[in-house]
Amino acid sequence: MPDQFLAVEDARISFGKGSARVRALRGVSVTFERGTLSLVMGPSGSGKTTLLSLLGCLLSPDEGIVFVDGVAVNELSVSEKTVLRRQKISFVFQAFRLLHSLSAIDNVALGLEIREGKRADNMVRARELLLQFGLRGKLNHDPNELSPGEKQRVAIARALAGDPPILLADEPTASLDAEAGRNICQILRSQVDQNGRTVVVVSHDPRWKEFADRMITLSDGQIKQEEQGNKA
Amino acid sequence: MKLAWQNIFHDRARFLATVLGVSFAVFLMVFQGSLLVGFLRAASRFIDASDFDIWITARGVQAFEFGATLEARAREMAAGVPGVVETGRACMAFAVYRKPNGKQQVVALVGADSNLGKHFPVPQLAETTESRLLDSILYDASDRDLIEVASLPAAVEINRHRANIEHEIKGFGGFLGVPSLFTSYRNAARYLGFGPEDGMYILLRVGKEYSVSDVQQNLRQRLPEVDVLTREEFAHKSRMYWVIKTGAGSAILTAAVLGFLIGLVVVSQTIYANTIENIEEYATLKALGASRFFVARIVLIQSLICAAAGSILGLLAVVPAMNYARSLIPWIHTPWWLPVMMVVLSLLMCSLASVASVRSALTVDPGRVFRA
Repeated sequence: MPDQFLAVEDARISFGKGSARVRALRGVSVTFERGTLSLVMGPSGSGKTTLLSLLGCLLSPDEGIVFVDGVAVNELSVSEKTVLRRQKISFVFQAFRLLHSLSAIDNVALGLEIREGKRADNMVRARELLLQFGLRGKLNHDPNELSPGEKQRVAIARALAGDPPILLADEPTASLDAEAGRNICQILRSQVDQNGRTVVVVSHDPRWKEFADRMITLSDGQIKQEEQGNKA
Repeated sequence: MKLAWQNIFHDRARFLATVLGVSFAVFLMVFQGSLLVGFLRAASRFIDASDFDIWITARGVQAFEFGATLEARAREMAAGVPGVVETGRACMAFAVYRKPNGKQQVVALVGADSNLGKHFPVPQLAETTESRLLDSILYDASDRDLIEVASLPAAVEINRHRANIEHEIKGFGGFLGVPSLFTSYRNAARYLGFGPEDGMYILLRVGKEYSVSDVQQNLRQRLPEVDVLTREEFAHKSRMYWVIKTGAGSAILTAAVLGFLIGLVVVSQTIYANTIENIEEYATLKALGASRFFVARIVLIQSLICAAAGSILGLLAVVPAMNYARSLIPWIHTPWWLPVMMVVLSLLMCSLASVASVRSALTVDPGRVFRA
């Protein structure tokens, strides 16, 4: 019995109708083991982001099953999926998705508030998270006052607020320069090694191979190749 | 809560546009509402000013301003009906007024017995034996420019009869476009050339131990040739005549309704646009696991902050505007409940608009967070 902590079984999903119909995933089955960093690669339109959306309970497959923390999420209602996402899953986005009106520390505190409710020590814990990522002097900066690398570190701090066991990252280094990109790779790797999180990264960036336990290549909505990464 | 405030103050230009939109809507609704309320009030102000219970008018009279003569004996007949404890008379007709400088002006002449009530504009001493006061005339302050008297008392003529303008009163500026003059019933009848058998409005006070409705029915049986209306019925009839049957009233009513609808659209649109502007952020919140309540609360709080700020600004703008308007439109009236109602309405509209827009925020596909 495979570990179904985070997995999809024979997932199929299409978008659009008639001649505009696109089959984004065509029977994908893949399991992501606990405490690993998996890299999902493939050309544009291969279904990488769709797979990530299924794993994040943001989409439901037309056919097939998605497991999160051993639960088949297909049967869950929208609000139950939201609760599951809040408790188990967090995201890191290519475009950072920081709330532009909030400072760095407020963005992280908001992540804590969403996951754990309003607590008196949210600001203290948000500060600790940001300090972990070397943002001591940037706590009260607005996102537009931060460099891309700093924004992504704030976004990761927000994603880790509430200590979710699963981290899904969509092209987290695509908007960053080489040094900042490598820094993000190291941060996400450390979340696996030090905190036992399960990280799935979708990326074109070859630098990730160095940090991944496993690499999955998608093509035309199907798994084309699975191989071990350098960290395995 | 903090996110709602921060969203608002981060994009001050949009916040200002939203607040201006709401304040414009509140201003429009209060102003147009004041015109409508003032018009309704002015349409029945003489009827409302009397404290008699029943009005007898010639058959088919629609409004106080357009009375017709009826036989004066109706007063004696009405006085004999059980329950009627007091009678009074009133009339109104147009007359030619000659100013102290010799120029002529058409005026609306209102005459009434002095017992019609302390609020009715009539010289309270007019029926005394003091001969000078027999001719006493009052005018409303809003008609001062048209009356053209340099000082009081002033000797003038009404329908070629000598008269004295004695006092200036307030609150009875009319919408007829001609100044109003007020005097005793006896003087008015004399100026208007009423015969001893003529009357226009007969007012009746009903004893406290009698039912107004019963007395009204009794009067209708005894006086089948005239209309017998309670004060409220005649006031309502007069208001409906002016608002519904005349073009002027319809225009004001239409403008008030349009003002309300435009306000509704402006508020809804600005609040909706404000929410849509931040739709990506709501998608992010949902992706992070925010509940529907969490997202809805942010949208609602933002809307209510905009509504409150816009309402305050709108009310601040409407005060000087109303003061100025009152110098041009004497009958415009803003009761205390009108701005309160409009602020409550704007809060309600903003809440409804946010409910409509929050659907967009709640149904936004959180998967869009992956689109760069």
